[in-house]
This record gives sequence, C-alpha cells and structure tokens, in this order.
Amino acid sequence: MYVNILFLTSALLTVGCAVAMLIARNIMHSCIFLLGTLIGIAGLYVTLGADFVAVTQTMVYVGGIVILMLFAVMLTGGKEFVSRAQKLLGLIPAMGNKWSFGIAFLTSFVFVLSQFVLIKNIVKGVEVTKEAKPFVSTVEEIGELLLTDHVLAFELSSVLLLGALIGAAIIARPRKERVAND
Amino acid sequence: MNTTIAEYFLSFDVFRSFVSRISLWLGTDVTPFIVFMIFLLGALVITLVLATVGGFGTYAERKISADIQARIGPNRVGPYGLFQLIADGIKMVSKEDIAPKTADLFLFYLAPFLAIFGVFSTFAVIPFGSGITLTDLNVGVFYLVAISSLVGVGVFLGGYASNSKWSMLGGMRGASQIISYEIPVTLSILAMVLLSGGMSFGQIVGSQGAFPHQWFLFHNPFSFIAFFVLFTGALAETNRAPFDLPEAESELVSGYHTEYTGMRFGLFALAEYVEVFVVSGVAVSLFLGGYNVPGEEFGHSLAGQGAQATVFFLKTCALYYVVIWIRWTFPRLRVDQLMVICWKYLTPIAIFNLVGCAVWLVVFDGKSMFELFFHH
Amino acid sequence: MPEQTLNVFMPVTIMMAIAVILFVGALAAARLLSPRGKKTDEKVMPYECGEEPVGTAWSLFNVRFYVVGLIFIIFDVESVLMFPVAAVFKKLNEAGNGVYVLIIFLSFISVLLEGIAYCWKKGDLDWVRSFIVNKNIDK
Repeated sequence: MYVNILFLTSALLTVGCAVAMLIARNIMHSCIFLLGTLIGIAGLYVTLGADFVAVTQTMVYVGGIVILMLFAVMLTGGKEFVSRAQKLLGLIPAMGNKWSFGIAFLTSFVFVLSQFVLIKNIVKGVEVTKEAKPFVSTVEEIGELLLTDHVLAFELSSVLLLGALIGAAIIARPRKERVAND
Repeated sequence: MNTTIAEYFLSFDVFRSFVSRISLWLGTDVTPFIVFMIFLLGALVITLVLATVGGFGTYAERKISADIQARIGPNRVGPYGLFQLIADGIKMVSKEDIAPKTADLFLFYLAPFLAIFGVFSTFAVIPFGSGITLTDLNVGVFYLVAISSLVGVGVFLGGYASNSKWSMLGGMRGASQIISYEIPVTLSILAMVLLSGGMSFGQIVGSQGAFPHQWFLFHNPFSFIAFFVLFTGALAETNRAPFDLPEAESELVSGYHTEYTGMRFGLFALAEYVEVFVVSGVAVSLFLGGYNVPGEEFGHSLAGQGAQATVFFLKTCALYYVVIWIRWTFPRLRVDQLMVICWKYLTPIAIFNLVGCAVWLVVFDGKSMFELFFHH
Repeated sequence: MPEQTLNVFMPVTIMMAIAVILFVGALAAARLLSPRGKKTDEKVMPYECGEEPVGTAWSLFNVRFYVVGLIFIIFDVESVLMFPVAAVFKKLNEAGNGVYVLIIFLSFISVLLEGIAYCWKKGDLDWVRSFIVNKNIDK
C-alpha cells in the first residue's frame, strides 16, 4: 500500500517535472523542474529499497548539481535567459526546435532499445517471485563490496575525481589579462 | 537498531493486545493503519513542538541579546514578554503580501517552500529518545545532510527571484557559503560515523553513554577538534553570525529575503530558526551523548523516554544559547575571509581529524582516551 | 540486522507532506487575514534604500561562484563514496582487517588531499585573486 503510493507520487513527480522542464520558457524554471525530477527519482530508488543510492541522489544532484547549474546560468548573465523559448512545430513553447527534438527522440529510442537488449539478457537468469522481499539496508553491503570486490574501482574513482577537480580548476581559472581584481 | 516510533509503541504488551483486540473486532488486521496513525501523530507533535521552539528562538534571541547588551528586551506581551511569539505570528499573518513588479513570481513563491521543505524533512530522523525517533533510518545522518542542502537552493532562489540587487548578492553569497561549509561538516560527521560504525542516529547515539567521558567529544583528541569544526560549519550553514553574510543587515539591507513580506518572510525566518535547533540537535547527538540517560532498563520505559527527551532538549538548548551568544560576541567576517576559513582551515583540519580518527580506531582498537587511561 | 519493510521510510514521506501542508496552510491563512491594498508603483518597486532601481539585478556574475560550486561537487562525491566505507570500518576492524581497510581509506584520502593541495597552490581557493597569485601560475 505505502510502497504503491510512494511509487505513484514519485513517478508522477518525475514525469510531470520532466515534461514541465522541457516546455518551460525560462531556463531558471527548467532548472527547478529538474530539481523536482531528481527528487522524484530519489523516491523511485526508495521504492526499490536502495536507500543509500536514494540519499546519494539527493545529496549530489539536488544539493550540488542543481546549484551548480543555477550558478552556471548566472554566469551567462543578462536578461537573455529569461524566456528564450523556441517553439516546437510552431505550437508548444519548448527549449528546442523540431531538429533538436527529433535528434533527442532518435537518441533516446536507440538508448532504450539497447537497454532492453541488455536487460533481456540479465533478466533471463533471474527467477521472478511474487512475494515482496523484506527490506535490508544496502549500506553495509555497499561498504563491504567497495572494500573487497570493487576496491580497485573505489581507488580509481578517487583518481578520476582528482582529474575532474584539476580540470575544473584549470578551465574556470581566469586568464591573466582579465583578472583586475573583479 | 533501526527502530521507529511505531515499533517502540508496539513493543509494549498492553498496546499490542489492544491492537489485536481491535483487529479481532473489525475482522481485519489494523496494524498497518495503527502504524500509520502513530507516524502521523508523532510527526504532527514533533512539527508542532519544533515550530514552537523555532518561534521561541526569536524570543530567546531578543531576550539574550538584550541581556548581553544590558537591556531588558521584550517585556510587554505576557509575563516577561513570553507571548511575544504569538504577537509576532499574528503580525506575520496580517501583513500584506507584496512581490516586486520585476520579480520572477513562480520562483519568488517557491523559494520559501524549498527552505521549509528542506528543514522540516529532517525532523523524520532527529533522535529525541531511543523510542521517540520518528524513524531511525540506516542512512540517518547522511539523509539529514542531503535533504537540508535544499535550503541552499531556497536561499539562492529567494535572492534570484526578487530581482533586487541586495537580494541577488545575498542569495549568491548564501548559496556559495552553504555549499562550501557543507564539506567540513560532512567530513566531521564522517569521522563520527567511523567511530560509531554506522550512519543511523540510533547507532551513533547508542555507542555513546550518559556521562561526559563516554561522549564522542572526549573519545580522542581528533574528535574533540572535529566537534568545533562541525559547530563552526553549522553556524555558517545556518547563516548565523559571524557567518551571516547572506543577510548582513548593515551591508545588504536584509540579504536574500529583502523583498519578502508577511508570511513568506515569516516562513523563511521560521526555517532559519528551526534549522539552528536541528543542527544543534545533530551536534548533540553526534558528540555530546545525545539522549542517553543512565540505566538501560529505565531508558526503555515511558518515564525513561521522557527523561531522554528532556536531556536531549536541555543539551540542545544549551548549544542554542551558545549560538546566540556567539552572535553578539564576534564581528562579521569578510567574504574572502569566509572562503579562506572554509577551504584553507576547516576542510584540511576536518580531513586531518578523519585520518586521525581512522588511525586511532585501528591502533587503539576503538577504545576511548578514558578507557585507555583508567582501565587496562 | 532485523528484517523490515519499506515502512521505515513512511515517516520521511509523512514529514515531507506535512511540510507541504504547513506551507500551503500558512499562506492560505495569510491570504485570508492580510489586507490587500492597491499596488502602487512605489510599493512594488524593488527596495534599494529609496533610490530608483537602475536596470535589473540579473546580471553577469563572477566566475568564482562557479569554481566554488565545482570544487564542492568533487568533494561531495568523495564524501559520498567514503560514507559506506566509514560505516563498515569499525566492523571490519573488529574482524581483524583494520590495517588493510586503513591503508585503502588513507590512500583514498591522500588523493583527495592532493586535489586540495593543487587548488591551494594554484590559488583557486582564494576568493579575491591578486596578480601575485597569477604570477605563480605562470611559473
């Protein structure tokens, strides 16, 4: 009962905000609808019993990425980002025209198709039972797996993040002639 | 571990037999419904209590600041001005709601909601007692840190949507300050997770004791420093002085909520005062022994729960007093000092503490300083 | 670990719902009780201490906010990765694998420290960049 309600609410939030994000005229509003979508996805993770992933989703995307996006919009500055809306087929206001939507549709079609093929192979070996499994927290499992089977991935991820940090710092560093103590 | 308030109530035989009798009478199992009602009632009570605490926060702030500055403070409404918060509430509700003409209305109306949502969602995991925790999630502390970062988005949007220069500056400062100080706070919390061996509040509080020598504050020298890192970071995350740059009244009028009037301003203020209580509560749970009272059997009974909640509230209010005291003691920082303190002092110190705690745990096998000195 | 259902998340959802209801309720009460005067031009003007506002506040902002955001996200992800490891650290230490876990943990943190050290040296942690810092970059 509870899981069904949670799933419905999260799914509605996810899909509704995603649609609203696409048709919003204002890029700031789009960012906020994206926030709603991301929270909805966190709710979906909870219905799957993946508590750690759900909270990670909230922490990294809601608290970090969205704020970064808002900052990035402020970086572009000016009034231009308010209501810079194109129209899809001349009807619906949307962030893109028919070409961008066509390409996006094609890409997502290919992506979903490939996912289906992948999942089909995985699902073959899994027995489907109707009974709900009891919820066991995933934290300890993840922690132990990170320290045993996936220890290399754990260590390499820190190197990857170091690379990302250095790259970000270099790209965002102001050039010498533009620094005059702004 | 992993108990909820409903499980606590259902652990009493009296209550269980009551539920089963109703189930028999109605012919269906009503336990899920009862569980839901306990959660709902508990959530309502905790919301009510914490909202009142937030209201009293404004009163305490004015009274204590008056005390520090040798004034009297609010003394007209009720005895000692105690009903000031009711007067303030009525005033908030009955003020006109004005939005600037040039504002982005959608975001302008949404911003206080994000702040309220981010703060109130944290109540679900705050441990008032071993039974009086709405739910003791396995990812408790982590959830609290994650969901309260929504406040940062709210502050930024409040500043942005007003389309006023003061608000915009305050919002930008606020968002960058809140996200920056989240790092040292998270790293300090991580050190405590390391020492207690779990992320749930029940685990963290449970591995401490009622007396100071059992607290994580005095567990080892690193955790002692970590407490101050966490407390400083928490001050900055809640925009309290000396880190009140986002709403610095002498330079930015009122910062990100300059353009807000009436109830919308009230909701921002409520979120802010309640958040101070929440972060004080987190600091108490992580470092100052939380709700622990002496005696394990006693703690489980209803009277014990009352004692636990009282202990928790007393410690948290003491920290709340320190927060207000600090406000009237230290001058405000400059923006560049703010960033330097976060990235060049607090973050390296927090990492040092984390490493120290990890090494201590391995070398001394998880024993605290006290155990090492006095027991062999 | 005791078996449990997803009901442990129910209070979280209820609390979020209460936050929504509280927000809507408070604003509804305010709408009912508050006076609604005529919106004069002066009243709906952004407050700038009595000056006439010039232009919009939505202007180009400094890149340093963005840099802070970028650095924050990297550290955020690192701490997220460290959380589950920290949660099982004590358990594994009691099982006798303490030194092994400590080495893994420390090597992870040392990479994190390298990042801080780099940004510190290159002046990315400074709020106000001076020319002196930039001269160091050129070296």
